[in-house]
Amino acid sequence: MIIAIYVLIGISIFFAFAGVVGMLRMPDAFCRMQSSTNISTFGVLGVIIGGILYSAVFLHNAEMAVKLAVMGIFYIVTSPIAGHAIAKGAYHHGVKMTRKSVCDKYGEDMEK
Amino acid sequence: MKKASFPAIVSTAIVCFIFWLLITGQVASLLRGEPSVQVLIAGAIVSAAAALFSARFFIHESPFYLCNPVRFLKLIAYCFGAFVVELTKANVDVARRALSPSLPVKPGIVKVPVGLKSEYAQAMLADSITLTPGTITVDTVEEDGKDYYYIHWIDVASEDPEEAGEAIKGTLEKWVRRIWE
Amino acid sequence: MNVFLYAAICFVVLALMLMIRLIKGPSVADRAVAADSIDILSDMALILYALHTGRGIYLDIALITAVLGFVGSTLVAKYLEGKL
Repeated sequence: MIIAIYVLIGISIFFAFAGVVGMLRMPDAFCRMQSSTNISTFGVLGVIIGGILYSAVFLHNAEMAVKLAVMGIFYIVTSPIAGHAIAKGAYHHGVKMTRKSVCDKYGEDMEK
Repeated sequence: MKKASFPAIVSTAIVCFIFWLLITGQVASLLRGEPSVQVLIAGAIVSAAAALFSARFFIHESPFYLCNPVRFLKLIAYCFGAFVVELTKANVDVARRALSPSLPVKPGIVKVPVGLKSEYAQAMLADSITLTPGTITVDTVEEDGKDYYYIHWIDVASEDPEEAGEAIKGTLEKWVRRIWE
Repeated sequence: MNVFLYAAICFVVLALMLMIRLIKGPSVADRAVAADSIDILSDMALILYALHTGRGIYLDIALITAVLGFVGSTLVAKYLEGKL
């Protein structure tokens, strides 16, 4: 059981690492947002699920397990909202997309 | 802004109250049968006040739509089954892109048609798309009675709206339609 | 369990790596996203520390910072869009 918890936390650290590296290497703000989604989904869920298992099985602390579940639900519900809001705000603020971009239908339709 | 109907306020208050119970740690003491009455009364008052002011932002259609066992089970199946599969695939894909030495990205914003009518279904689909790494919903528009999403996609495989839509939201849209229609 | 402590240190190191993006980021949006991610990573470190010590009080702090991080990034987004 404890091995499964360690594996979950290891997965979480791996995806958080991939997200951080992506945020440092990606060419423009929008691509960096895609990498930050990596942190806020699997980087979070591994620790949360592992924590629920650990506090329910080893600590026998139902309150901690419930709080961790609430935090997991909260992250899953709010992180897309914040991501969508920042993406839209950044586009309207005039943040440019990288020159490698293939197409920009949004900008074309806004100019019409 | 439309005014909120009474059932909308009630349903928002119920959700707020459930979160109050979970966060204050009252669930365990309720199960033991010795709840703290003061905490429960304070929670009821606060959640009723919060619902009174905020229900009109959240609920515009049938408030108790999910109070139906079949729909609720479908929602659970979506959250823990189909969606987790898509999430894993997208996470592995974006992690591979970020860690590979040549950084193989091909970003762009594509326009994708959406065939869902209900507001809840559209919000849920947009959130699901944003939550999968690799795609972010930038904006939604309505043209000639049809809804479109503008989606920033890290690997543009096709600029054609239909093909891009099939690649981005194929499975997700089928499941969301099964829940809300 | 010491493993949780080491995992928490890993998350703190990742958060410090993100500081580079927070300082360097060319636009406001980069900085907002980096700050949001640092918030999430430090929350994970707090959760792991709570599991290490077995005390639930750290979870309350993590929950509050999660809520505040969401409110803050939504506020920055509103400001960027020019609706504030």
